[in-house]
Amino acid sequence: MDNLKSLLAGALSGLVSEYADIRIEESEHAAIVYRGRELDQIGRSFEKGGCIRVFHRGNWGSASFNRVDDKLPGLARDVAQAVEALPERPESLGKSPALTDAVTVPEADDPRKVPLAEKHALIKRYNDILLRTAGITTTMSVYHDSFRRTSFLSSEGSFITQETVYTGFMCRAVARDGTNVQDYSDSFGKTQGFTSLANREPLVERIAKVAVDLLKAEPVPAGKYDVIIDPLLAGVFAHEAFGHLSEADFLSTNERMRELMKVGIRYGVDDLTIVDDGTMPGERGSFRYDDEGTAAERTELIKGGRIAGHLHERQSAQRMGEKVTGNARAISYRHAPIVRMSNTYIEPRAFNIEDMLDSVERGLYVCGSRGGMTELESFTFSSQYARLIEHGRQTKMVRDVVLSGNVFETLKSIEMIGDDLVMFGGLGGCGKGGQSPLPVGLGAPHLLIRNVVIGGR
Amino acid sequence: MEDRVLALAEARGAQAEVFCSDGNLTTVEFRAGEFHSQESRLTCGYGLRVAKDGRVGYSSSSNPDRIEDLVQAAIDTAAYGKQCRFEFPGPCVHPAVKTFDNRVIMLSAQKMIEWGRELVDALRSRLPELKLDVTIARSYRETALVSSAGLDTRFSRAVLELYATGLVVHDGLVWISEYENLSSGAAPAIGAIADRMEQRAILARSRARLVTGSYPVIFAATAVPDLLSPLLVGVNGKQLEKGVSPLGDRIGQKLLDEKITIADDGLRDFGTRSDPLDAEGVPRRRIPLFDRGVFTGFLFDLATAGACGVESTGSAARDYSAQPQPGPSNILLLPGTAQLDEALAGIREGLLVHECIGGGQSNVLAGDVALNVSSGHLIENGKVTGRVKDTMIAGNVYEMFANVAAVGDTVRDLGSYHVPFVMFPALKVATRD
Repeated sequence: MDNLKSLLAGALSGLVSEYADIRIEESEHAAIVYRGRELDQIGRSFEKGGCIRVFHRGNWGSASFNRVDDKLPGLARDVAQAVEALPERPESLGKSPALTDAVTVPEADDPRKVPLAEKHALIKRYNDILLRTAGITTTMSVYHDSFRRTSFLSSEGSFITQETVYTGFMCRAVARDGTNVQDYSDSFGKTQGFTSLANREPLVERIAKVAVDLLKAEPVPAGKYDVIIDPLLAGVFAHEAFGHLSEADFLSTNERMRELMKVGIRYGVDDLTIVDDGTMPGERGSFRYDDEGTAAERTELIKGGRIAGHLHERQSAQRMGEKVTGNARAISYRHAPIVRMSNTYIEPRAFNIEDMLDSVERGLYVCGSRGGMTELESFTFSSQYARLIEHGRQTKMVRDVVLSGNVFETLKSIEMIGDDLVMFGGLGGCGKGGQSPLPVGLGAPHLLIRNVVIGGR
Repeated sequence: MEDRVLALAEARGAQAEVFCSDGNLTTVEFRAGEFHSQESRLTCGYGLRVAKDGRVGYSSSSNPDRIEDLVQAAIDTAAYGKQCRFEFPGPCVHPAVKTFDNRVIMLSAQKMIEWGRELVDALRSRLPELKLDVTIARSYRETALVSSAGLDTRFSRAVLELYATGLVVHDGLVWISEYENLSSGAAPAIGAIADRMEQRAILARSRARLVTGSYPVIFAATAVPDLLSPLLVGVNGKQLEKGVSPLGDRIGQKLLDEKITIADDGLRDFGTRSDPLDAEGVPRRRIPLFDRGVFTGFLFDLATAGACGVESTGSAARDYSAQPQPGPSNILLLPGTAQLDEALAGIREGLLVHECIGGGQSNVLAGDVALNVSSGHLIENGKVTGRVKDTMIAGNVYEMFANVAAVGDTVRDLGSYHVPFVMFPALKVATRD
């Protein structure tokens, strides 16, 4: 480690620049993919590379590389020279303390210690559960794990080494009845070891069951409904519809949104608090330090119904005159970090699901997410399935339920917040600026929202 | 390094192939008329494919300290791998193709920034309301391949491309994009790019209306790839192997209009996907896909060719981190005889499409497309008038290309597509007007 530190320090020494950092990453991945009965992919890969960033007179320059060797000082000089040649801009970096730390993963959580045969047996077992369910015609099951060690050194004196693990799986079941084809998928994944994936049979069985049940579901008639959304869909809403608007790199380029997202503006009931928290133990979006060497934090985005904060990297924090929040993240050494969420969730409150059902005369209980689109404050999300609520009771399953609306109006229409926060991770992640998938966590309790526009497909 | 990996794999009783990709990418970017960033990316990694006990294993690494582990992982995965139905190719003579120019390799980032600034300045004076993003990217990649069959070769490619996207806010948002393949080493024709963008920005100022119906539609060269890409899914040997290509048993049948001749040409000078050999060391060639409307064949790599009982067409594509897959190189739609002015003159009411979004969101394997026309103009009595809004073209590309009114006489170099305009006599156009 001392060798690496002196190699990196050598690369940054003598640069005529206000700030520079260098990040080296070594990682190891295993991936297994089943499609139906066929093992489609099984492989392991090894990566090593890094990224140099230089900041000078308001401009950034960066270079990523695979060869970690004595040519690094030359590469760093090239980047610094390129940045020096640029016209000055009125930008500077927010303060982040210089730190020295070494974060390690407990040996029991290290997926490299688990033989490939065990990983294969696990995902095959889950895939077989799907395949033997009557009505399921095809499947896709994916296992993935990674172990990563990053070393970060900055010209301000930070030196941080950090290990991270991810393990997870995803299962998708396709059910068919004649020309009626329905599918359902779900995933599980955290910054924890391989053992956290064991005993997930109930989740897998549920995937198969919902896919088959969807064959009998009818498309929902379009209209306005009172809806109860499940923790997963509510979490996706918190991340996609609202969380991205809190990212300061975006806000700093969009004046109108900056006005709409000003601290103090009310968008919800007193009970509504939305948080981004990179410090939650074991969650998919957790980390100790971000890729600028700033410690992960808990940041309240909405507190008591009012805008309370934004997510920052060092430059955006300085530009907006706010605190650096430790949200500068890169998917790998190939990229410079940009402002990203970590674990984004809505805090739980007092209501239980029965309270919510009791207060809905006619509505929908909407579950899961198939993805969607957001454009500024407008959003459209497809759910995975829903059930009609009639006189406070869940009745038949319906499908093709698409929710759309304006995020600020929708936040204002949240009437009840449940007591049952669930956090989700899974295998996928967030995509932004060509960097996908970045591991993130999201979650919420059940929410009751009045008058949501539901489009049939 | 390649030789060491090969020797280690062979020492464990495997036939092996080592693919190494070593390259760099330099990108300069302007956003909304301002310089935004300069970035470089240096990439070097190894992919090891082994055939052991009749099965294929794979692993990849960009970490030279983990070569032993790379070899062990490839051998381990072979135990679960697919049956090996091909042999690694041996040495061959490289076909002639120009894939780099020294002016491109030596080009400085400063020069790239200068070009970007020239384009920004040229348009700023003409169209102050235009918000212009410019990206200029230069990539250089050296590929090395060694195998147990005696292959030991390397080849390189340098690509230089300019992308410009202008945003005009005028009765909604209008995006205007331009592209130049500069790989042959010539400097960009900044004036001509600015002229084209200006012309379209001016046309975007006047709004035109077209009611839903069936109209003659001209797809400008820039929009033709949206229609060709579903065909390229159909001709992919992987889809044939899986038994899902709609072209499965149709070689020799006339499926498209006789004005349509499409080829995949990996040997086009300075094509952005040109190489002497494919990513498995099989010589690139020009592969006819549709000849005057008749379907002539699929694109194969070694594995899909082996599974289908044919020879590889030299169409393997890959990055070091993944196993090869068949894929298109440079796609040519051969020019016809029509001139744009004449084609326009014959239209009383129709649509000229420059750019679409939403390609790839429908059942592309079946050839279905649902394209949102993001930049398109009304044609009235032979003249291009204003911009149309909220306009969709949905259909099936196999049906669309079966009835073509005209194919343009001039091919536009769009990097991996070299295509003229195509005019269809009648397509369904849906609008909100």
